[in-house]
Amino acid sequence: MSAPTSTKTPFWPSALALVASILGFSFALSSTLDYTSHLDRQVHDIHCSFIPGLGADATQEGACRAAMYSPYSALFKDRYWGGIPIALFAVGAFGFFAAFALYMLLARDRAPRRGQQFLFAVSLTPLAVSVLMFVISLTKLGSFCKTCVGIYASSALLAIAGVFALIYDLRRAKAALAIFHAKDKLPVPPPVKAAVAMEAGEKGVPPTVVESEIPAVETPAKEPVKEPEDAPFTPPRTGGPALIPAWLLGLAMFTAVPAWLYVSAMPSYATYVTGCGKLEKLTDPTNSLLHIAPAGARQQATLFVDPLCPTCKGFHQRLVAEGIFDKLDTTLVLFPLDNECNWMLDRPLHPGACVVSKAVLCGGDQKALAVLEWSYDNQEALLAAAKGSGGVAQVRSMIRDKWPGFDACIDSKETKQRLDRTLRYIVANQLPVSTPQLFLGGTRLCDEDSDIGLSYTLSKLAPQLEISRSR
Amino acid sequence: MKAAGVVGLAAGCVILAASAITVHGQVRGAAERLKTGATLEKPKVAIANDAEASYCTPAFKEVLARVIHACGLVGGDSRRGCQPADVKTLASINDDDFNALFAPLKSRGAVIMFDDGQDKLDDQAKQIIEDRWLDRRGARYFFVVARASKSGGADFNRTLSHKRANSVLFDVSDKFKDKDPDIDKEVGLLWLGSEFAQLGKDYCDWNVSRPGKCSAEAINRSAFISWVDCQL
Repeated sequence: MSAPTSTKTPFWPSALALVASILGFSFALSSTLDYTSHLDRQVHDIHCSFIPGLGADATQEGACRAAMYSPYSALFKDRYWGGIPIALFAVGAFGFFAAFALYMLLARDRAPRRGQQFLFAVSLTPLAVSVLMFVISLTKLGSFCKTCVGIYASSALLAIAGVFALIYDLRRAKAALAIFHAKDKLPVPPPVKAAVAMEAGEKGVPPTVVESEIPAVETPAKEPVKEPEDAPFTPPRTGGPALIPAWLLGLAMFTAVPAWLYVSAMPSYATYVTGCGKLEKLTDPTNSLLHIAPAGARQQATLFVDPLCPTCKGFHQRLVAEGIFDKLDTTLVLFPLDNECNWMLDRPLHPGACVVSKAVLCGGDQKALAVLEWSYDNQEALLAAAKGSGGVAQVRSMIRDKWPGFDACIDSKETKQRLDRTLRYIVANQLPVSTPQLFLGGTRLCDEDSDIGLSYTLSKLAPQLEISRSR
Repeated sequence: MKAAGVVGLAAGCVILAASAITVHGQVRGAAERLKTGATLEKPKVAIANDAEASYCTPAFKEVLARVIHACGLVGGDSRRGCQPADVKTLASINDDDFNALFAPLKSRGAVIMFDDGQDKLDDQAKQIIEDRWLDRRGARYFFVVARASKSGGADFNRTLSHKRANSVLFDVSDKFKDKDPDIDKEVGLLWLGSEFAQLGKDYCDWNVSRPGKCSAEAINRSAFISWVDCQL
């Protein structure tokens, strides 16, 4: 690192900015390509590693998939299927920073001061976005995807480079000023003196000889001048006022062009999102189904869930996070994938789901949601208990600890029969044995549209939900 | 300085073009896969259906199908139930078929017993009918097979058998019609006269409504009821 009083621009902040930008670009591009591969409405493997583009096992992938499926992964999700991934904007921005850092690295002292100042100012923007996303990951998602962390780290490195670029620029300016103030005490090299005087607004000395009167003389051939170690200080060039708007325009272009191309290449999803079937019987004559209608509910929905199904949990959390669940007038249909009560299976997919479903039924319309969300929150523990030596009895014990008043209800014939009728409602509608399933006014939300395409699909199937105003 | 600017600008253009082309190509590729359906094969998902118990052997289902089709349960026919003549002619059912149909239902069903020459249900009978009805689980059809003993004429016994089957049907309808509007499509009635296969005393070991009063003759003054856990 250079000494504080140096009048030279060190190369390392620009080099660091270049490295950080390339890293950030790689992570962002990897994330974007993962996102775009899902535009065919299928589930694909995703890259999730501290090494950009490297694959991941299922455990590592979870955090990256959670981030990708979250409402914070893309913009304009209600307008375009999947929206425009935020990582795509990062691709453009880091690409611009890489090119700019390369320019600064090559130009060094000859680069205008506005370059350092611009690098400082714009290098903070990825950091600001990264901090925001970090907080969201921490508070909303509860996990950090490695690719995202790679982008955060790249942003931090870029910001460090930008800050030091500014620091060294200020030091250079300070050094120039010091030289200017010391001009009476120390011999100031004529070029410096002239430059400082010009910057101070002096007009300079008029020519003493008229140009035309200068006698023609032969100019001796110049010898190459070797710059000494303590070469005379050259004052930093500020640069024209149009530079910063021009660079900003470039940055905007870098971020906007890929997004524009992305949107222009997207297919139309309108016909796909309505092609997954209808609910034949919207109402249940036996009144066995639960009904959850928050105050702001404005769209009829029928939701089939298994309290111990991880996908149901993720889907529920997505609906809540996107502010959709509170707008649904939900008929909740319990569909435990457990052969203890569900005759459609020959083995338990989610052991313990029958007894938890009975607990949800015992909650009635008022408490059903609370019991369901409790089961989602404790899903791993409940499943582990059911699969452990304690079996379903252990699950009963956990329910008893949390909901002591439900014991008799869970064991009652009425609850068993109600659950039977619920399952018969599913048979009557000839639904796939799978959870979750959401029907909006009778139209089924396709499984393929339940993750990154959720907002778009809901805006098409249920415009009254006003998805764009949800967040 | 100019050279640095040119290099930076060129690098920027290359990066912008490369990233834009890559992303654009990826999106177009996904669009093509979406359009042509060239995606991973979806796992086949079962469709929710009625229960299928282990006793639903092909032979059992064949007999069951004969009775169901002959007795007007399938197809929204207005016919309610079968009498022995119908069964014998339309479903070609014989005594062996009949026994094959109900023997596996010992633990699932119950035998409702009646007084001699009567079709009225007692309280115990009503309770058992309710219990059996509510223990539906995943079953699609509820069978009522009424009988009359050999005492009395053939016509009288056939009429009595018919009345006993109806007693069960009316009891179920009175209690559950409001909660289950499809009862007519679920309950199959079969009334058998004395000319049809009589039950042996061993049927007294089944879940009977009068366990203390069961005899070889009394067990035939009855209606056998059960949900049948078979898909057809």
